[in-house]
Amino acid sequence: MEESKQQTEQQTPRQLRGLYSKVKISVKTLNIIIVVLCALLIACMAFGVAKGGFHVSFDTQGGTAVETQTRMHGELIEMQEAPTREGFEFDGWYLDPGCTVPWNLETDTVTESMTLYAGWREK
Amino acid sequence: MAENKIKAKEQAFKDLSSKDKTKVITDLLLNNAMYIIIILAVIYISIKVPAFLKLPSIVNVISLTAAKLPIALGIGGCIVLTGTDISAGRVVGLTACISASLLTTTFKVFPDMASAPPIIVVMLIILLTGGVVGLVNGFSVAKFKLHPFIVTLSTQLITYGIILMYLMKGTNNGQTLSGLTDGYRSLVTGTLFTIGGVAVPRYVLYSIILVALMWVIWNKTTFGKNMFAVGSNEEAANVSGVNVSLTIIMVFVLAGMMYAVTGFLDGARIASANANTGLNYECDAIAACVIGGVSFVGGIGRISGIVVGVLLLQIIFTGLNFLAVDANMLYIIKGLIILIACAIDMRKYLVKK
Repeated sequence: MEESKQQTEQQTPRQLRGLYSKVKISVKTLNIIIVVLCALLIACMAFGVAKGGFHVSFDTQGGTAVETQTRMHGELIEMQEAPTREGFEFDGWYLDPGCTVPWNLETDTVTESMTLYAGWREK
Repeated sequence: MAENKIKAKEQAFKDLSSKDKTKVITDLLLNNAMYIIIILAVIYISIKVPAFLKLPSIVNVISLTAAKLPIALGIGGCIVLTGTDISAGRVVGLTACISASLLTTTFKVFPDMASAPPIIVVMLIILLTGGVVGLVNGFSVAKFKLHPFIVTLSTQLITYGIILMYLMKGTNNGQTLSGLTDGYRSLVTGTLFTIGGVAVPRYVLYSIILVALMWVIWNKTTFGKNMFAVGSNEEAANVSGVNVSLTIIMVFVLAGMMYAVTGFLDGARIASANANTGLNYECDAIAACVIGGVSFVGGIGRISGIVVGVLLLQIIFTGLNFLAVDANMLYIIKGLIILIACAIDMRKYLVKK
């Protein structure tokens, strides 16, 4: 009795428990899955690195449009000319639409994709 | 001592037949596939961007790891119970909003208040908030035998609704809460010590204390032992006299309090709180736990594993950020990492004799 029990234990693979309790999968299939997923992960990382660059877009909040720029990590944003708006004076770029957190073009470096908002002062 | 062990292992490896040798090597490679990929990625990144291995970047990685540790420590317990908790991120958001609304100088949510209450009072309020959400989760799982996915999905939505309503209170009108008191900010983000001119924030210390506390709870208390017993086999634990319901409830309450601490730290760390604070934090925390060897099989997991898991995830994502990988791609990478971690987790359990 004991022996036959041990034998069946050896023949049938170990049953998964917990969240995997319904999963029926062999080690061999798992090996293939792991290798394929790892390859996919590396491919995604490589694709991400190759297409690297953070997109900095500009919301001029009513002013003339400014083109989106692509910047690498730690780079400065280069601004050729400031946007203009009828009846307003350009007041600099801000991180929020409410214009409370200013962005310094000369010292602040890009660390993520983001949108900068133009601040305006009435003339 | 350690050398002898390594030598003994070497000898045992030499004694194996060539077929067994390949098996041992494939086992080693596959079971550690995630770590190998991360190490290779780190080597590549540090060659491409040398600043990645500079002190400011290392301190940054350690600080971010410390900020994300408490939530992972909380979720780890739920995973040991073969459950999970997807309400975690929203609880972080709610507690961050409560902290930021009380410990502020502008009082937009409570216009009648004149001065900020003592920090300890706010701490108690948010611990209570997190604890109550955890209690609801734990009670439903323990008493009604509901699957944690369903329960925590509903508490996640309910908590989000509460956050949105809370932010509409007073004169705030759903805006981001900011203008935090100096006392709150310096308590969390103040300088613990400076190393090579780079400041290490205080919350690193708080995280270390929480790790120590959770280590004691998991390894040295009856509650911790009961948690592992319930996780590996609920019926057996019940038969041997463990109060299963109480254990489950306590694990979820403890987890809720850990999310509350994360929220408290996050409010001051980001210097503001809004409805999106804490969004998707649970995904990162669950991924970190699974990478760190806390198994969905149940009853398996170590605090050191969770710390390593959070650290590895932070290293890889900070590194990818240095390479300017788009945030959208990071989501796909995160998803793949969770899948691989689960496959490895299953494989380890199936192969183990």
